[in-house]
Amino acid sequence: MDARVDQKAVLVARSQLSPRCFALDLVCPRPLPAQPGQFVMVGVSATSDPLLRRPFSVAGVMPTENGAQFQLLVKEVGKVTAMLRHLPLGSEVGVLGPLGRGFSLDSCGPHPVLVAGGIGLPPVLFAARQLQKQGVSFDLFYGAASEPELLLRSEIQKVVSGDAVFCTDDGSFGESVFVTDLLRKRWKSRYSHLLACGPNPMLHAVARLAREKGVAAELSLEEPMACGVGVCLGCVVKLADGTYAPSCQKGPVFRASELAEGW
Amino acid sequence: MVRLATEVGSLQLKNPILAASGTFGYGLDLLDFCPPEALGAVVTKGLSPKPRAGNPTPRIVETPAGMINSIGLQNIGVEAFCTDVLPTLRQRKACVVVNVFGETEEEYATVIERLQREEGIAAYELNVSCPNVHKGGMEFGHDPKLLRSLVAALRPLTQRPLWVKLSPNAPSPLAVAEAAVTAGADALTLVNTFRALSVNARTRRPSIATGFGGLSGPAIKPLALRLVWEVHRAIPQAPLVGIGGIMSGTDAVEFLLAGASAVQVGTATFRNPNACLTVLAELEAFCQQEGVEDVRELVGGLVWP
Repeated sequence: MDARVDQKAVLVARSQLSPRCFALDLVCPRPLPAQPGQFVMVGVSATSDPLLRRPFSVAGVMPTENGAQFQLLVKEVGKVTAMLRHLPLGSEVGVLGPLGRGFSLDSCGPHPVLVAGGIGLPPVLFAARQLQKQGVSFDLFYGAASEPELLLRSEIQKVVSGDAVFCTDDGSFGESVFVTDLLRKRWKSRYSHLLACGPNPMLHAVARLAREKGVAAELSLEEPMACGVGVCLGCVVKLADGTYAPSCQKGPVFRASELAEGW
Repeated sequence: MVRLATEVGSLQLKNPILAASGTFGYGLDLLDFCPPEALGAVVTKGLSPKPRAGNPTPRIVETPAGMINSIGLQNIGVEAFCTDVLPTLRQRKACVVVNVFGETEEEYATVIERLQREEGIAAYELNVSCPNVHKGGMEFGHDPKLLRSLVAALRPLTQRPLWVKLSPNAPSPLAVAEAAVTAGADALTLVNTFRALSVNARTRRPSIATGFGGLSGPAIKPLALRLVWEVHRAIPQAPLVGIGGIMSGTDAVEFLLAGASAVQVGTATFRNPNACLTVLAELEAFCQQEGVEDVRELVGGLVWP
């Protein structure tokens, strides 16, 4: 059934990307066949506090001889992310994955548009890397609160075959505008599909815009998770039919049309 | 060679490690990490007569050495369980304890009557202790009279063992335990989650949507151990199933010593999907190191000062 495995990964590199964000490169001994939008549950604690692992969207993965090297982009927001920021290189962390349902890149048509907000970048970046490999042309819109929080700009520009458009809430880089308003302004009729990850208000706006334009949207949602494997039912999202689906299994990528209004 | 087989009342178990209700799906969700047939038993997610959508979100928050949940008994309903899940559990020869939930006495009876038509169920565990639903559940678990009436009404419906999973939030857990046993319960599961509150200082709101939730994990272990020991001391003839923050083999041993015949592993599975198996392996290793030949020697062996 699932290709998911629980293994120890070694932290091989960390680079600070902004005052609160950093990239982690990890190497694991067994394969990690993650698709863009899939995630891993990362455990850094040998003790009961912190107790649970945390979900992180995979930003990229490369097979090695027997295993894989993969990248996570992390924003320091709490106990576990602070531990990850200070973890010595060479340390082991528990990695359970790949988990969940990713973006369906095979059905996104001739010219998809990708949208990222803040630390919602990782699955969008991974999708961009994959689309580039597949030779699909696409545009990417990326917004953040301010210039330092626009991560990996030069890399993004290299990866994006079409337009890479950046903006900030405070105008410290690019236009001073929400990324969804900018997308609306610069919408191209050839956009065939929309992939997005970011804060919920942004995703709500993306879903509305996609519906107006008659384009299918896939949204990568973030929910608090305990287990990541579908047994705690803590991470559920409300669907259009009124039921709750665990985002760790049915998501974290949902089609906007599957979700309840305002989920 | 350690003998791990044990029994809870009349029910024979291949080992004393069970997967707790609400942490292991319906028994088939973690086959790649923990096959249900490897455990003493799996206790299913609480089943109600009809599917339940569960509570609004957010439903969970981590707290020091624990977590608070308010899932609200989201489940597929007893019919879907019998049709879609139970045949595979039977085929795998898993020992299945079905956790039963109702809002009324009649609903508990409906679930059990439906399950009585099926083979391959080892016991029922009555959930009278969910802190996260408005009707049923904890109402029964807090009032000895109501619980006596519920157990007495369900007792004639089945020959299978009836376990009652008790609430630590009852004004008198001991009175509730006595009521359950008097009315014909075969065993008591101790304990469900502790009603708890996490506050978000910045939003000035509770961290989860329903306000209160149930606290589980290592944070509650000493409280759960205390209740197991108190009930064991007061009703020594009642078989007990211990649960509350068990993360390791040593934790399991502590519950056995306090009087539990078997234990359930719950929140630990959220941290590690194979937690039940590691607890089992550690329990066996402990017995080997300590020269315990039969795990049943440990039950109730606490030396009280």
